[in-house]
Amino acid sequence: MANVEISAVRKSYGALEVVHGVDIDIKDGEFVILVGPSGCGKSTLLRMIAGLEEISDGAVSIGGRVVNNLTPKERNIAMVFQNYALYPQMTVAQNMGFSLEISGKSKAEISSKVNSTAEILGLTPLLERKPSQLSGGQRQRVAMGRAIVRDPAVFLFDEPLSNLDANLRVQMRAEIKALHQRLGTTIVYVTHDQIEAMTMADRIVVLRGGVVEQMGTPMDLYDSPANMFVAGFLGSPSMNFLKGRLAADGSPGLTLEDGSEVKLQHSPQGTSNQAIVLGIRPQDIAVDPVNGTPAVIKVMEPTGADTHVLVELAGQDLVAVLPPRLKTTVGETIPLSFASPNVHFFDAASEANIPCDPKSEHDQ
Amino acid sequence: MTIVDAQTAPFSSLPKRRDPVLIGLWISLVIVAIIWLAPIVFITFTAMKSNPEVLNSAAFAPPEKIVWENFTKAWVKGNFNETFVNSTVITFIKVPLGLLISAMAAYALAQIQMGWNKFLLIFVLFGAMIPFQVMLAPLFTLVNSLSLIDTYPGVILPYLAFGVPYQVFILHGFFKAIPKELTEAALIDGASHVTIFRRIFLPVSLPVLAALLILDFVATWNEFAMALVLLQDKHMWTLPLGLMSFQGQFSDNYGQLNAAIVMTVLPATIVYLIFQRYFVSGLTSGAVKG
Ligand SMILES: Nc1ncnc2c1ncn2[C@@H]1O[C@H](COP(=O)(O)OP(=O)(O)OP(=O)(O)O)[C@@H](O)[C@H]1O
Ligand SMILES: [Mg+2]
Repeated sequence: MANVEISAVRKSYGALEVVHGVDIDIKDGEFVILVGPSGCGKSTLLRMIAGLEEISDGAVSIGGRVVNNLTPKERNIAMVFQNYALYPQMTVAQNMGFSLEISGKSKAEISSKVNSTAEILGLTPLLERKPSQLSGGQRQRVAMGRAIVRDPAVFLFDEPLSNLDANLRVQMRAEIKALHQRLGTTIVYVTHDQIEAMTMADRIVVLRGGVVEQMGTPMDLYDSPANMFVAGFLGSPSMNFLKGRLAADGSPGLTLEDGSEVKLQHSPQGTSNQAIVLGIRPQDIAVDPVNGTPAVIKVMEPTGADTHVLVELAGQDLVAVLPPRLKTTVGETIPLSFASPNVHFFDAASEANIPCDPKSEHDQ
Repeated sequence: MTIVDAQTAPFSSLPKRRDPVLIGLWISLVIVAIIWLAPIVFITFTAMKSNPEVLNSAAFAPPEKIVWENFTKAWVKGNFNETFVNSTVITFIKVPLGLLISAMAAYALAQIQMGWNKFLLIFVLFGAMIPFQVMLAPLFTLVNSLSLIDTYPGVILPYLAFGVPYQVFILHGFFKAIPKELTEAALIDGASHVTIFRRIFLPVSLPVLAALLILDFVATWNEFAMALVLLQDKHMWTLPLGLMSFQGQFSDNYGQLNAAIVMTVLPATIVYLIFQRYFVSGLTSGAVKG
């Protein structure tokens, strides 16, 4: 077990820099998830920790030891790949025992470790099979077993669940989390799936274009996103953004492009008439026949527990999660209220979060 | 054999209507097989006939009485005692050694980034492009200057030089197609390049290695032109050279001539039969997904 310290790490392929100075401090035993859109450098970062990719600049240390120039083997890490990367001609047991065999462990020790790991993962009946005789979920388990057997200081996962179907993904998510609680080993996990990140991580690192946009606990990031990118990335359905201007008289509200008014519970720090973006999660929009702003319904998607409604307001599309069995239909207008305490404000130009004006909250 | 398997297995469960393209393909395969088999049948049957029977019976008629003597006499007359040993020594050293060198070179070119891999590969490929016939004269001069004419190394080394490039080329293509995650997983598991090569690449490449081994065995066993130039001493001759001389001396004894041919070809056939079962495809299946 060990902490992982990533300081000012950069990665360039020739003249092209893809990771631009990343600092992440991962505590011993922490489950950290790197999340971000495709091509943002998540895998590159993980592979630099693993020693599969050279570190162009900066330092990675594991357990207090700078590992920049160490081989993957010397770093004492284990990695689970997106496509499993099982050795095709070896059985499950041989796959799992390969690293122990290489490090010269005795046959008895190898088989006892393989057996106890197989027990944890429910692989015992499959030990003599070849990878080609396994289902995707079973292969994924073997890949994890191969990592666990080694008892490494750090586990690295690169999108381990993205080849599995939706149900299995949910199940494996819970299994990985339980495994982490059981083993207590530091985990660095890469995914582009925000639900995986939200549900499993102790701490999330949101990356975009090779820089860290924000890091913190899942709820921190969900409740106080630093910018529109993080706000839009986490949460499902994703956050709505409504462009407008602060009311000229300083009252908590927003003037939209077509002149309609949206009433809010509080307003951000800023000057009147300033162009801003309102961020509101679909779950925070409510139907309000008295103070609501009318919006036109474009699509209704009943999910059973609630209804996802796509509406148009002043030329902008919004998604609202409303109660089930709504008595309206597509094409009609519906009065929606945005006066939730959980709204966010962003600067229209920089997209950075603007804190709420403390005064406006007292006004309520 | 494989034709029959492929035909019956997947279709037995289907209704009787068959794809006309498949039927056409099947018929052409049978025709090709007959064209290939005819000379073999002729040679095998003739090898077992006495000389009068050869002259009086139809070419493809089976022998009335098998004359095993043909084989023993051909063995002695053709000096098979020496040529067989020479061929065996040369082939059994050259083929495995060449394949090992090729596989190691291909692994290094495909897996270890040295900066000039591309150039090296092109250089190796260049070697595969030169027909060895144009090199015979300089080759003789070279081997002669090393005083290796009429020695085993004198043929084995040139055989290696001309055989390795195309094997490297084929194996390099195959090794490149092995997912890089397999190597990376092994590196993380603590494997060295030697271990990765031996424990992962070689087993995964078994079908190609078997194919190359068979092709190379047959080519080396039957090689004629280079051996003719490099082996002047009758006692160093290989089977094809011995066969040629046999043909020149005893061309009127058809039975014994064909017996000599059968004995020459037989080892290659046996090697083929042993190794063809490794031609199973899809050995990497199950390794990675997506
Ligand atoms: N060998 C390479 N040469 C040049 N550019 C590369 C190389 N490998 C990756 N890149 C670039 O580096 C960037 C980051 O790649 P990386 O694989 O880390 O993305 P990722 O965040 O893992 O994306 P995904 O979610 O699609 O896996 C990408 O823009 C990619 O094009
Ligand atoms: Mg990736």
